[in-house]
Amino acid sequence: MSEQPGQEQGGQASTTAAGPTPVAPAAEKPIQSPLTLVMPIASEEAYQQLSQTLLKVQSLPAEQNPIVSALTKIATVHFARFVFLENNTRLAVITTYDGDFDKYIMDFVDHIGDVFDMLLQFMADAPPLPVREHRQEFLDYVRSHDLRGIEPFYSAYPQSTVLDILQATGASQ
Amino acid sequence: MADLDLDLDDIQGLIVRGYRKPTARHLLLRIDRREAFRAMLGDLATEDRASGPYITVAADWIDKPPAGVKATHCVNIGFSYEGLKALGLPSSSLESFPEEFGQGAVARAAEVGDTGPSAPEHWAPSLLSPAAHVLLSVFADSPEELESVSADLRGRAGRGAATELDRFDARALPGEVAHFGYRDGLAQPTIEGLPMAGLPDPFPLSPPGEFLLGYPSQHAGFTFPVPEPEALGRNGSFGAFRILEQDVHAFERFLTEESERAGIDRELLAAKIVGRWRNGVPLTMSPDTYSPSPPIPQEQLNCFDYVKTAAVEQDYDDPKGLTCPVGAHIRRANPRSQPVAGGGGLTHRIVRRGLPYGPPYDPHHPDDGQERGLVGMFIGVSIRDQFEFVMSEWLNDGIFAAGLGRTKDPLIGANEPHESRFAIPGTTPVQMAGFSRFVTTRGGAYCFLPSMTALRHMADQTGEEVTGP
Repeated sequence: MSEQPGQEQGGQASTTAAGPTPVAPAAEKPIQSPLTLVMPIASEEAYQQLSQTLLKVQSLPAEQNPIVSALTKIATVHFARFVFLENNTRLAVITTYDGDFDKYIMDFVDHIGDVFDMLLQFMADAPPLPVREHRQEFLDYVRSHDLRGIEPFYSAYPQSTVLDILQATGASQ
Repeated sequence: MADLDLDLDDIQGLIVRGYRKPTARHLLLRIDRREAFRAMLGDLATEDRASGPYITVAADWIDKPPAGVKATHCVNIGFSYEGLKALGLPSSSLESFPEEFGQGAVARAAEVGDTGPSAPEHWAPSLLSPAAHVLLSVFADSPEELESVSADLRGRAGRGAATELDRFDARALPGEVAHFGYRDGLAQPTIEGLPMAGLPDPFPLSPPGEFLLGYPSQHAGFTFPVPEPEALGRNGSFGAFRILEQDVHAFERFLTEESERAGIDRELLAAKIVGRWRNGVPLTMSPDTYSPSPPIPQEQLNCFDYVKTAAVEQDYDDPKGLTCPVGAHIRRANPRSQPVAGGGGLTHRIVRRGLPYGPPYDPHHPDDGQERGLVGMFIGVSIRDQFEFVMSEWLNDGIFAAGLGRTKDPLIGANEPHESRFAIPGTTPVQMAGFSRFVTTRGGAYCFLPSMTALRHMADQTGEEVTGP
């Protein structure tokens, strides 16, 4: 049985076997945060290569897709998508993730650094690569290219992490 | 795998193993005159070991017991950022140290959960002072030896080198237990190239670069930046010095009240909170009794995991915490192979050194008004990624694991009664709430633990004025 957590605002939401009595989510800052990473692609040719690379990776079966396996291991990313913007001149990486991005940078890069190397090599202003050797620069790059979102970030389940949801839904890791 | 060839004569012994000396004294010093202090450093780091107390290096302690003459005392030294500055390191060098070390433990207190009663305003005032420059630690076989070595060191410092601002004494309890009554120190990371420090475990060896500056870390392709110049940074490490008051009476009262309320055995409750029975047997290996039959050999007390893994013969598989609660102390401090946020359950290990302070708790005189606790040093190549990460992500929060919400470690977390919770899953789940913290921080300092080369380098510097970048 998944345990419902204590409150951000003080006071206790009552807990029943089915879960907590719903509290208006607008009152709580979600545990999840948006990543809206928008990066400039170096050139038309770079776009062509990037697009082919991405398509190739994304067409792999899940168990062979390095993006899927990395995100599964990291276990803090709820959703992730890649979108070409502005007439294929920009690549956006849009995710929802749990907790503090900065604190987990070492763990993130360990698991997903290679994927970012694959993408960043095509960007006009890429940080020093490979990212595993230049972690602080990678963190700074992400921070400076993250558009986040106009607050507040809405979440239908503001206190539920990826790990909580996987456990509650009985999904195995 | 690289041939490591660690220079054991260069590395301070404390980083490599705990000495298991029964008494310790940590002298907090203010550097007064740089020339005099440098001379003192030169003496302490001398390669001529015959001339009195000197810094203990790893080579002295590589065998257990140490080869050759058994040392009756050990000495180690650490510098705060302010201490390095006071010693006259140029700003280019100071700026090459990690940011969190530069800010210091007082500024970083909230980061690690030292809030409320644990906040710096309640700490030993000496540790709040920017003059808290140096931590000189003595470990000895007896109180007499401790006094004699401390006196010798104070004598050297007294030649204008440094002033003692404070001292923090510690002493082993009978039976080698900690104040809360648990056997401690069973689990330590094993560092590649060095002998095992704690009990054997089934996990990958830690590369030296997780505990020593200048070597590849466990993170592929990454070495933590070495403070400059290399002579200063290499073979050094960092330690978070902590003075932690332990409210044993409150903890014992909590066990009594909660075990009655929930109808569970008191010692079982004590085991569920920590993850080990008080005698050190892990709940995962023995869920129902602290005295399993056949008994678990000492060297196996750390050979378990929380999920099935090829590295452990027995199939332990406890994702929901039915055997060992997910929120229990040792499971938080070391999640092993269980899935955690970031996937790094095995990549934030710390080397822990510590001894109790204060008289043993006597249940017949529970309100003796005596302060007791633990004086500890938590060592790693990165204070931020090891000590601070474990404190803020695993011990003082719960979102790193499934189902813990924002809860904190029941034994050592910064618990406040209005929000504290601890769940014991099981066929009859037990929920505890409303408890206060049992551990209060009484002081802290972030220390750089330099190598012998670094100490000699510092000793060789000249000039009373800062020589510029």
